Amino acid sequence: MSSIRVNPNILPDLLSSLAQTRQQQETATMQLATGSRINQPSDDPAGAAQMVSNRDQSSQTDSFLRSIGSVNGLLQTADSTLSSVVTALQRAISLGVQGANGTLSDSDRSDVANELQGIQQQLLSLANTSYQGEFIFAGTSSAQPFIADAASPAGVTYQGNSGVNRVQVGPTYSVQVNQPGSQIFTNANGNVFQAISDLITGLQTNSGVAAAVGELSAAFNHVASQRVFYGNGINQLQDQQTYLNAEKVNLSTAANAISGADMANTAATLNQAEVAVNAEMAALGKISQTSLFDYLK
Amino acid sequence: MSNLTATMSIATGAIAVEQGALTETANNVANVNTPGYSRKQAQFSENPPVVLGQLTFGTGVSLGKVTSVRDPILQQQIQQQSGQESELDALVTGMKQVQAQFSSQGSDIGTQLSALFASLSQLSTDPANLALRQGVLTAAGNLASTFNNTANNLGAQRSNLDLNVSQAVAQVNTLTHEIAKVNAQITELQNLHEDASSFIDQRDVLINQLSGLIDVSQIQSDTGITLTTSNGTALVSGSQAFALSTQMDASGVQHIFSNGKDITSEINAGQLGGLLDVRDEKIPALLTSLDTLAAGIVNAFNHANSLGLDLNGNAGGNLFTPPPASGQGAAAVIAVAITDPALLAASSDGSVASNGNLANFSAIHDSGLINGETPSAYYSNIVFGVGNDVANGTAELQSSQLVLQQLQDQRGSLSGVSLDEEAANMVQYQRAYDAAAQLVTVINQMLQTLINMGTGA
Repeated sequence: MSSIRVNPNILPDLLSSLAQTRQQQETATMQLATGSRINQPSDDPAGAAQMVSNRDQSSQTDSFLRSIGSVNGLLQTADSTLSSVVTALQRAISLGVQGANGTLSDSDRSDVANELQGIQQQLLSLANTSYQGEFIFAGTSSAQPFIADAASPAGVTYQGNSGVNRVQVGPTYSVQVNQPGSQIFTNANGNVFQAISDLITGLQTNSGVAAAVGELSAAFNHVASQRVFYGNGINQLQDQQTYLNAEKVNLSTAANAISGADMANTAATLNQAEVAVNAEMAALGKISQTSLFDYLK
Repeated sequence: MSNLTATMSIATGAIAVEQGALTETANNVANVNTPGYSRKQAQFSENPPVVLGQLTFGTGVSLGKVTSVRDPILQQQIQQQSGQESELDALVTGMKQVQAQFSSQGSDIGTQLSALFASLSQLSTDPANLALRQGVLTAAGNLASTFNNTANNLGAQRSNLDLNVSQAVAQVNTLTHEIAKVNAQITELQNLHEDASSFIDQRDVLINQLSGLIDVSQIQSDTGITLTTSNGTALVSGSQAFALSTQMDASGVQHIFSNGKDITSEINAGQLGGLLDVRDEKIPALLTSLDTLAAGIVNAFNHANSLGLDLNGNAGGNLFTPPPASGQGAAAVIAVAITDPALLAASSDGSVASNGNLANFSAIHDSGLINGETPSAYYSNIVFGVGNDVANGTAELQSSQLVLQQLQDQRGSLSGVSLDEEAANMVQYQRAYDAAAQLVTVINQMLQTLINMGTGA
């Protein structure tokens, strides 16, 4: 008779399989707790490396979205400021047309000129609008852009510069976020301050009023065209924001695909591991309880 | 001629033999849980018969010898496998600790790098804002200290491994010394033709422990056993042990010497093999990668800062302290060079609210400045490398454990004590003993009959 002799000491085998099941249990619990199946690089080295890029891109997308938020505020402020400028210029033009009427007395013209001086002040203040402590029409300078200056023919001098800033709102996409004040208010194609100053002088001296109204119309047209820059900027940012939000969803979908734990599956694994642990413990408790010695009486 | 006294001596001999066999059973049962114990088997042999005329009479039984059931080849396989298993175990344990440096997703180098770019992006919307400028310096500082911590932790871990190396060498020396002693005892007993199996079991256990520490080759010779490393460095020869020594090298780690020869790089199995692999290969390679990354980032940011003008209208200086020229140790020493947020050169034209130069900073994010890779991609490769080392090591360790377990099962099925078997043997020996004792009684009665026959009844 020869039969295969089995290893009489099966305890180490059982213990090692128990340790393995315990490991499975721990991994599944960890995955359920974190919702991620990659909790350390070794869980999936390639996935972990992909997650580094994914997190970097998410962080970049978030910061682009934050930038869009700040820039959008700036552009909205500029746009509504220019809207007020346009309204003020409309009022100035209609006052100019009124003043050009030859039937007006000197005192009537003086009244109109006074009202225009008020508008001039308002325009100066609008041109010096600031957003979060920074003048928005000063180019890239931090100086107050327009200063009343009696010596200047236009009544103001521009103290800003002609610099523009661009802000990155996409990996290879940046938008210009400002127009220098000299470009908007004191441009050769339409000089707001020169025109209103000329109109006031014209009314006061009763000469060249019509020409000054013409200047004012040109200035009005110019400012209106500059406003389009801001309107376009706001639209671009909105489009980019929509794109980035979609991108964020894509990135988080990708992250979930790379590292997300399959909860149902993991829960099932955990259950199986628990069942296995119980079975192994039961086996461990049972073995070696009996040997032939127990039956020798 | 067969006579009653001869028969009596067969019976009493059998009693003695069964008793002896029972002693071995008792010894087996006693050592059922002794590690490395090989079960012993009593070998019965029939005594040479006597021939009287035409008839041949048996003369009983004797206990030929007691043999230990063992397979020396299997034993060597187990030793080799446990050497490999210990090496992988030390490697995986070491690399898991390394991996911890790259696991915390909220505060690792990659996250801090992303945060630095995010702070620059925020600054671009309001470049003169001192709070946002400070934000950039803070993010840069966080990146620098994360580099410092990661490099320092790896350095500290290297020192810990070094301590483990010294301890393992001390254990190797203790074991080789003991093995040499046991070798001497075995030789002595074998010269006297005595059973040395219990010492052989003991030596197997010791060699197994030694294999767990260092790579061991064994050569069996007449004078006992010779143990060497796989490169031929003698550890034990017969009754002589060759102690290893350690000596600190220029970089501050212990090197292992045998007889004045540096054998550090030759050890590639056992715990020492794994420890040395992590200490001398894995961690230094990782530190070099981190240094390359740190130096690349520092140089790129310093260059970008030098292209612009700061809030005071001056050309930008270094944002980070420049790395050592060789780049070595850059990760451990990287630090932010400026504390005044005004010195960040965001402007391209000298006007304070210009953000023109920040584009040069954000361009670093996508430039292949380290071996053609972007900083983030380079870092992700580091993470992959570490994760891969642990994952591969763990897989190999598991399969090695499985093989070792199978070998040990095999050894157990051959040499392990089975209580069922011992119980069966015990019953068998007891029955034989009873029977022999019964024979003695019967023969005694027969002798009585014979004696009484003489006295006449």
